[in-house]
Amino acid sequence: MADAVLSAGQDIDRTLVVVFLRGGADGLSLVPPVGDDGYHRARPHLAVPTAKALRLDELFSLHPSLHEMHELYQQGTLAVVHAAGSEDESRSHFEAQDLMEHGGADVAGGWIGRWLRSRQADDARIGGTLSAISLGDELQESLRGSPTATALRALAQLDRSSEAQLLHAQLAALYRPDALLAEAAASALAAATRIATLQATAYQPRPSARYAERKDGDLAVAFSRDLSRVAQLIKARAGLVVACIDLGNWDSHFIQEQLLEPRMRALSQGLGAFANDLGELLASTTVVVMSEFGRRVRENASLGTDHGRGGAMFVLGGGTPGGMHCDWPGLHDSALDGPGDLPVVHNYRDVLAAVLARHGSRDPGSVFPDHPQRPLHV
Amino acid sequence: MSSTRRQLLQGGAGVCLAALAGCSAPAWLVPGSGQDARFSAPTGRDSDAVQNLLNRATFGVRPGDRDDLLRLASTPEQAIDAWIAQQLSPGSLDDDACEHALARFDSLDQPVGELYEYKERVLLRELTSATVLRAALSHRQLHEVMVHFWTDHFNIDISKGECAWLKVADDREVIRRHALGRFPDLLRASALSPAMLWYLDGRVNRAGAISEHANENYARELLELHTLGVHGGYTQQDVMEAARCLSGWTVRPKSGFLKAHVAFEAQRHDDGAKSVLGQRFAPGGGAHDIELLLALVAAHPATARHIAFKLCRRFIADDPPAAAVDEVASRFSSSNGDIAETLRALLGSASFRADINAPTSMRAGKLKRPFHLLVSCLRSCDASSNASTALTDYLTRMGHAPFQFPTPDGYPEAASAWQGTLLWRWQLASALAGNRIPGTRIDPHLLRVRAGGELALSAHLLGRLPDATEEAALRSGADPLALLLASPAFQRC
Repeated sequence: MADAVLSAGQDIDRTLVVVFLRGGADGLSLVPPVGDDGYHRARPHLAVPTAKALRLDELFSLHPSLHEMHELYQQGTLAVVHAAGSEDESRSHFEAQDLMEHGGADVAGGWIGRWLRSRQADDARIGGTLSAISLGDELQESLRGSPTATALRALAQLDRSSEAQLLHAQLAALYRPDALLAEAAASALAAATRIATLQATAYQPRPSARYAERKDGDLAVAFSRDLSRVAQLIKARAGLVVACIDLGNWDSHFIQEQLLEPRMRALSQGLGAFANDLGELLASTTVVVMSEFGRRVRENASLGTDHGRGGAMFVLGGGTPGGMHCDWPGLHDSALDGPGDLPVVHNYRDVLAAVLARHGSRDPGSVFPDHPQRPLHV
Repeated sequence: MSSTRRQLLQGGAGVCLAALAGCSAPAWLVPGSGQDARFSAPTGRDSDAVQNLLNRATFGVRPGDRDDLLRLASTPEQAIDAWIAQQLSPGSLDDDACEHALARFDSLDQPVGELYEYKERVLLRELTSATVLRAALSHRQLHEVMVHFWTDHFNIDISKGECAWLKVADDREVIRRHALGRFPDLLRASALSPAMLWYLDGRVNRAGAISEHANENYARELLELHTLGVHGGYTQQDVMEAARCLSGWTVRPKSGFLKAHVAFEAQRHDDGAKSVLGQRFAPGGGAHDIELLLALVAAHPATARHIAFKLCRRFIADDPPAAAVDEVASRFSSSNGDIAETLRALLGSASFRADINAPTSMRAGKLKRPFHLLVSCLRSCDASSNASTALTDYLTRMGHAPFQFPTPDGYPEAASAWQGTLLWRWQLASALAGNRIPGTRIDPHLLRVRAGGELALSAHLLGRLPDATEEAALRSGADPLALLLASPAFQRC
C-alpha cells in the first residue's frame, strides 16, 4: 500500500503545484509589454505605465503588484511565458478550462490524472492518500483519472471520535463492492486517518516566510493558507506528488483594476512566501501558474477587457532556468487573432511538458498524445 | 409526536431546545410533518418504482410520502401517473404550512428596492435557510426540484456586485415564478432580472461611451449556457451581434434614485442593423431588439436539445439515452417551451420508466448532490430544523452552498464532480443521527416506532430491505441510523 511508503530520506521526491487562475487572467496586466507602443494605444485607460512596471527585459515588465515574483525572477527561479494558451477558440471559460485541464481535445481524463497513471510504476508515492490533492471545494478536472485524488478541506472539522471510527470501519465494508463509489470511499477513509496524524502537529512556517495576514485581505489569506498547507505536506514528506490550487474570479469585464489588483497581490505574496518557506526544497518543487485564456487586447467600454486568447504562464522553482520566454507577435492589427486577441504563440502543453520532464517523466509527450511537441526551455 | 412536544419544537411557548442547549441559533424550530402516524416502507429485496420515483423527483422520501402516493390510485403504476400529474400542477397542492413556516423570514417578500435595507449576510442567511426549509417541507416537491435546476441553469453568485441584495428578488420573481411555466417567460424574466444584469455585466453593456465596444459577457452566456449550448452552432460574431441587441438595458445601482430599477437607455443602445444566427435585425429596433433576440434563441432547435439534455441528465442519468433527449426536446419545441409539458414527456418516457423500474443490480442510480443529500436526510428522518448555519455549513464544506457558485454554468450535475465529498456526507449523517447539529432535531425512537421496527426503517432509508452486507453492518454496534444515512444506497437517487 502506497500509504505505508513514506518518503523520508528520498531527496529526489518532487512535488508539482498547479495554480489555476480561473476566469481568464489578463496576461497583458500580469506581464505588460510596456516596450510595445501598441499596448499603450490599445489600452488608453488600463495600460500599466512604463515607469511603474517592474522591468523584465526591453519589452516586458511585471505588474507593480507582483514585486515578490519580480524578486524571484531576478534570482533566476521564476520563468515567465507570454502569448501562451490553448487551441480553444470558443473563448468560453468552461470550454477553455475543460480543454486545458484535460490537456487536449481528444483525450481521456485530466492531464494530471494521465501523468500520474503513467508514473505509477516508477513513483511509490502515487496512489497514496495525500499524493494528489485539491485545495478547493471539489476536484479539478485536471485530476480526473488520477489513481487517487482528495479534496483537502478544512481538516480540523473532521470527527475522529471512537464512534466515528467504528462507523468508518463499517462504511469501508459497505462501499467496497460499490462500482461507482468504492475508490472514492477508500480514498476518503485513508485520508481521514492520514489527516488525523498530520493534525496532531501545528504547522510552523519558516519565520522569514511572509504569508498573507489578515491585513492583506481575505483573498490573500486564503491563497497563502492553501500554499502553506502544501508546504506543510511537502516538509512532512507526506507523499505529496501534486497539489491543485484555484485562485478565482479573474473575469475582468468591468473596471478591471479593482478586480485584478488584489488578486495579483495575493498571487505574488503567496508565491514569495511559499518559495521562502520551502528554502532548499524549492529545488524539488515546481509551481505552474496558468489560466484558461488571456483577454482582448483593446479595453472595453466599461474599463475592463473581454475574453481573448494568448495569456501569461509562470513556472517557479523545481529547476527551471527562469527567464522571459516569448516570440512576441506584436500588437498591430494584422498580428491579432479573431476579434482582436493576442494570438497563442506558445502552447501551454509545451510548458507543462518541460516541467513534467523534470518531474521524472521519460516521455512527457505521451501525456499529451494529440499535441505535436515544440518543447520550451522553461 | 405529542402536541406538547410539537409546541415546544415550534417555540411558540417561549421555550426551545436550542436555548436550553445554550447555543445562539434562532429560538425556533420548524417541525417536520408533525405526524406521529405509522408509515409504510418497501418490503422487497429489490428497489421499487415508487421509491425510485420519489428519490429522483423529490428531495427525499418523507415518512408517509409513499402511502400518500399509493393512495392516489388502485395500482402503483396508475398512482405514479397521478402523482406526476399532481406535482405538475403545483397550485393544486396546499402548501400553507410551508409558507407559514417561512413567514418568519422578513426579507423574502420585500419589493426589490427595499432589499437594500437589509445587511447582505442577513439576506444570504434568510434565503439559504428558506431554500433548505422549502426543499424539506414543501408538498410541491417537483416544483422545488425544478427551482434548483433553474437556479443552476441561470446561476447567479451573490458575491458579485449587488447580487447579494438582488438575488432574493431573482429567486422569487424569476426562478420560482416560472419554474414550471414557459421557458420563454423564464428566459425573459432572467434577462431583465436586476441580479442577472449585475452578475453578467449586462448593465454596463452599452454603445459609445469610452470606446465602441459592447460588453459581451451576458450575450455569450445567453447563447452558451442559457439557450443554444456551447455546440449550438453560433459564432463569435453572433455573440458580438447579440451583445449589440442587448446594449442599453441597465439597472440603477443602490447609490442613487430608483435603485434596482431596470431601464432601457435608448442613447446607450446600438441601434444599427444587426444579424444574429442569420436573422436580420432592422436598424431602429430600439427596446424591441431584446424581444426579437430572446424569441429567436428561445425557439431555436439547439435550445430545445440543450435544455432536454440537461433535464434528462438531472432526471434519468448522468449520460442520458439519446432517445429520451430527442423525445423531450421534441416536446419542448412542440409545446413552445412549456416546462410542465416537457417534464410530463420526460417522466412518462420509456427511458425514465425503465430506469425507475429496473432492479437494484441493473440500476446505476444517480449520486445525490450534497444539497439533495442533506435535505433528504431531513425529510427521511422527519427532522425539525431552523436550517441555520450549523446545518447549512455542511453544504459549504461539501462545496454546494446555495447561490455561491462563482461561474455562470452553475453547480455541476454529474456524479464525478461530487465524489470527493464522501467524508463530509458521513460526518453529516453521524452528526444528524446523534442530534449533534444545533437547531436540527430528530427523534430516532419515534421514527423507528412509526416505521414499525428497525428493519422497516432500514427499508425506508435504503429503498429496499437491507442486503447481507448492510445487515451485518447494522448489527455491528455502530449507530444504525448514521450508518443508513451514510450508506452508498442513501447517497443515490
